[in-house]
Formats: sequence, structure tokens, C-alpha cells
Amino acid sequence: MQLLLNSIISSCVILHIGLSFSIIYYSTRFFHLAHGAVYTVGAYTGLCVLNYFVSDSQIIPDTSTQICIYGASAFIAMIIAGIVGALIDRVFYKPLRKRKAPNFIFLLASFGIFIFLQNFIALIYGNQVQSLRIGPIREGYSLMGAVITPIQIFVIMSSMSIFVFLSIVIKYCKIGKAIRAVADSHISASIVGIDPEKIILFVFILGSALAGLSGVLVSLETNLEPSMGFGVLLKGIVAAIIGGIGSFPGVLLGALVIGVVENLAISFLPSGCEDAIVLVILVLFLMFRPQGILGKREERAG
Amino acid sequence: MEYVLHIMILVAIYSILSMSLDVIIGYAGIPALGHAAFALLGAYTSSLLALNFNMTPWLGMFLGAIISSILGAIVAYPSVKLKGDYLSLATLGLGIVVYVIAKKWVSLTRGPMGLSGIPTLSLWGHKISEEWQYCILVWFIAIMIYLLLRMLMRRPFGRVLKSIREDDIAAMSLGKNVNMFKLKIFLVGAFFAGLAGSLYAHYITFIDPSSFSVMKSITILLMVVLGGMGTLKGSVLGAFLIVVIPELLRFVGLPLHVAAPLRQMIYGLTLTLLVIYRPHGIMGKCRWN
Repeated sequence: MQLLLNSIISSCVILHIGLSFSIIYYSTRFFHLAHGAVYTVGAYTGLCVLNYFVSDSQIIPDTSTQICIYGASAFIAMIIAGIVGALIDRVFYKPLRKRKAPNFIFLLASFGIFIFLQNFIALIYGNQVQSLRIGPIREGYSLMGAVITPIQIFVIMSSMSIFVFLSIVIKYCKIGKAIRAVADSHISASIVGIDPEKIILFVFILGSALAGLSGVLVSLETNLEPSMGFGVLLKGIVAAIIGGIGSFPGVLLGALVIGVVENLAISFLPSGCEDAIVLVILVLFLMFRPQGILGKREERAG
Repeated sequence: MEYVLHIMILVAIYSILSMSLDVIIGYAGIPALGHAAFALLGAYTSSLLALNFNMTPWLGMFLGAIISSILGAIVAYPSVKLKGDYLSLATLGLGIVVYVIAKKWVSLTRGPMGLSGIPTLSLWGHKISEEWQYCILVWFIAIMIYLLLRMLMRRPFGRVLKSIREDDIAAMSLGKNVNMFKLKIFLVGAFFAGLAGSLYAHYITFIDPSSFSVMKSITILLMVVLGGMGTLKGSVLGAFLIVVIPELLRFVGLPLHVAAPLRQMIYGLTLTLLVIYRPHGIMGKCRWN
């Protein structure tokens, strides 16, 4: 039962970042690896804000104040993450888009930015693990023989609501339709009067802010270290690919699969194997079904 | 003086690594990340053979390189079917899998504790113990490999690779078995990467999985991109710059916890800026691959 619960929690974490990554990939058609760094930026911004309000080991017993402070740090983290994401797009990706660079080049540039940002954080905050806690350590609640903490409950709720929110927006809202138009074809979108650059900027801000939120949420539960972004991002990417690029339910499905596989591997195999297994699954999917389980996106010719 | 020789030896070894990656990325246009995995396999193979079976390092190196090429074939198999960024992701993923296996299969590789006491190379019964001897040896090997690869790239084989880089569908339409060429170039690249890994192992006499991490792959990639994709001389230049310049920074005297992330930051930023503003690097001829 605990295994099932852990799987669900892992899946939701992966879903969180998988969704935000997915919306960027959907619109821009390349792997924004630096997204993992934005996630880390969000987490460390949360740390920074928390440290601002609460000096080092002060414990605030009052739950509602805790929630306020957590909320504030999450909010500010989202804003900062959104700004960072937008900057990355404007400064680095836009020139590449203007020159119609092949996707591999975007990937390399993105990787470079990821390394840069990750080490920038390591420079400022040091490589050691930090934690983000201002309340007393609480026992989780018991649920049918398994333990779940309030933060984990919040993560599940949050990822589900983001999923629902994004699905609705993409399908019904005007901006969602604009995003879909740009995702299909930049040129066609501009013909009907949509400015692809503005939409892409919006998508980056939205996706990055969500990543920042993921960062804060996860770091409330687990500790922070500068390299936290890579592993989570990779799993998010795998989830998005095997679930199906271009479809949010696909990301959900992919995240579930990866969450379950990951936790099964942790329970039954020596530690650290789960990363390798997840990657092997990725490679298998890329080889045999690159559009994922629910994918609709057809690769354009040429 | 010993320090300078040490640096030169590293430059030679990294030159072999970056040349071996350049033939895959620069000449054939296959965006393969995760190259350090080949070096890892070569290094561990020859080290384990030397430590456990007392095999002479030369034979161990050769076998290590062969095993690396087998891994190269394994990596090539999905790679020929995938495009662009999916390919990069798959090769990166496989590279990480190899790294994780090396870290976790402790009974074989001693995991993070690494292998130590790896015997150095010896020539005609005479152990190579002096820095300068090793330096001459590795540079000799590096130059041989350079000439070999240059010759290979000038032959029809190399020309077909370049045509695959430019437009693989056109190459296929001209009757070239593109998949076979891609496979072969992975074999070649992996072989020499494995060789370089073994050279590294027998020189430093200690290896652990972190010597061949994802960051290492990116560093080698940076050497290729900086020097210029598609030119062997460029790869050597890239290796030289990437090895030497951080060493110069060492003399600036920054504390370690500042220097290490700063170095990576520079790598990351350099990669990004290069790829945006000067993708052909210093000596390269092609624009996008």
C-alpha cells in the first residue's frame, strides 16, 4: 500500500515537471533542457525567501503562519522562475529561432544554459544539501496502512489541478487555441494574426513558473541541492515522451508509468538502478514508438 | 616541469577523445552525446584485465577498445533510426545507463570506490615511469591516430560520411547504405574513445565512474565544438584549450568551492554562446550540421 502511495506521489512530482516541460516542447518543438535549471532556481528562490523571513533554525509552530510563508515563497519562486525562463528564451533561443537552427543546436544551447545555471546556484549556495523547513517535523497522516504527509497531499492536489487547468486552457481558452496554432505552424499562426513570439514568450513564462512551483513543492518534502534539476527533468522528459508528446493526458499516463516503475525498482532492486531502468525504457520507446502511447504529433517531413 | 608534462599528456589523451567524437558528430553529423561512456568502458576493461588477470596493458587497451566499439554498435542501433534531438536524448540516456551500471555493479567495478593501482604501460619490458617518457608515448599514439583518421576521412568512406551529414536522405537515394556507414563510424569513434580511456587509466592509475560522467561527455563535446566540428585539427585545438585554460585559472588562486562551479559555468556558457554565435568553432568549416 505504501508502495502504491509512493508511486502516486512520485508520479505527481514527475507530472508536475512533465506538464510544464511538455507545454514548452509542444509549442517550440525542442527540448528545453534548461527547464531543469529553472526548476532548481525556483527551489532555491524559495529557500532564499524562507531564509529572509525566518532566521536559521527558528521554528514557527503556528500552522497558518507557516502556510503564509510557504505560500509567499512559492509565489515569489514562481515569479522569479518565470522571469528566468523568459530571459532564457529571449536571450538565447530567439536568435536561434531567427536563424532556423536545427533542433540539435537548441538542445546543446539548452544544455549549456542548464550547466551554467546549475553551477551558478552551486557557486552561490554551495554544493551541500540544504533543507527548507520552518515548522516542527510532523508525522504524516495514516491512510489505510500507509503514511502520507500534508506536503505530499498538496503535491498531488497541485499536480492534478495544473493538469486540469492546462487541459482546459489549451482546449477552450483563446490563448490555448493560439498556443495550439503556434505549435502547429508558426507561419500559419502569423498569417491569421497571432504573433508566435508573444505566444512562445507566454508559454515560457507559464511553463517556467510552474517549474519553479514544482521546485519549491518538492524541496519542501525533500532537500535541495544544486543538481536536483537534472534527475527530475529527465524523468519528466521520459514521462512526456513515452506518454506522448502533444497530449497532456499522455504526460499523465507517462508519469504514472514512470512513477510506478521507479518505485518498484527502488523497492526491489539495489538503489540507483531506477534511473538506469527509466532511461532504458526511454530508449526503447524512442526506438519503437517515438510518438509515445497517446501521441498525436506527427513529425513534419524535412 | 612535471606539471607541464602532465598537462601535455592530458591534452594528448583528450585530443584522441575529441577526435573520436568529432568523426561521429562533425564528419557524419550524428549528434551523439554520452561519448564518455565509451571511454569508461575501455578504461575499465583494460584496468580490470590488468588488475585481475595480470594482462599486459597493451593487450588490455586493445581489448578495451574492441569492447567499446561493441558498445558503439549497441548505441548505433537505435541511433540510425532516430532524428536530431531524439537521437541526442537516446545517446545521452545510454551514456547515463553505462555510467550508472559502472557505479552500481560494485562486485565488478568497485563502484564509486574506483580501481587503483592500475599498472602503467611498459615498452619492451621497461616500465614507463617518467612523465616525459609517457608524454612522448601518448603524443606518438595521438599523432598516429590523427593521421589514421585523417586518411580515413579523405577516402571515399569519409566523403560518404560528409554527404550523410549534409543530407542523409540524398545519400540514401544515391544508393549508399547510410545505416551501415553510421554504424561503422560509431565503431570507429567508440574504438578510439575506448583507447583513450585506457590510456587515461594506465596513466593516472586510478579510475572511478565519476571520471567519465555526463559532464565529461559535455566537456569532450565542448572541445569538438570549440575547435570546430568536422576538422580533426580543430578537435586537437579544442582539447588543448579546454584542458589548458582552466589550469591557468588555477593560478588565479580562487578557493576550490568557487573554482569548480565557476569552471563548469564557463563550460556551459561557452557551449551555449558558441552554438549560437559561432557554431563552426575556431577552425571549423561547416555551419550547422
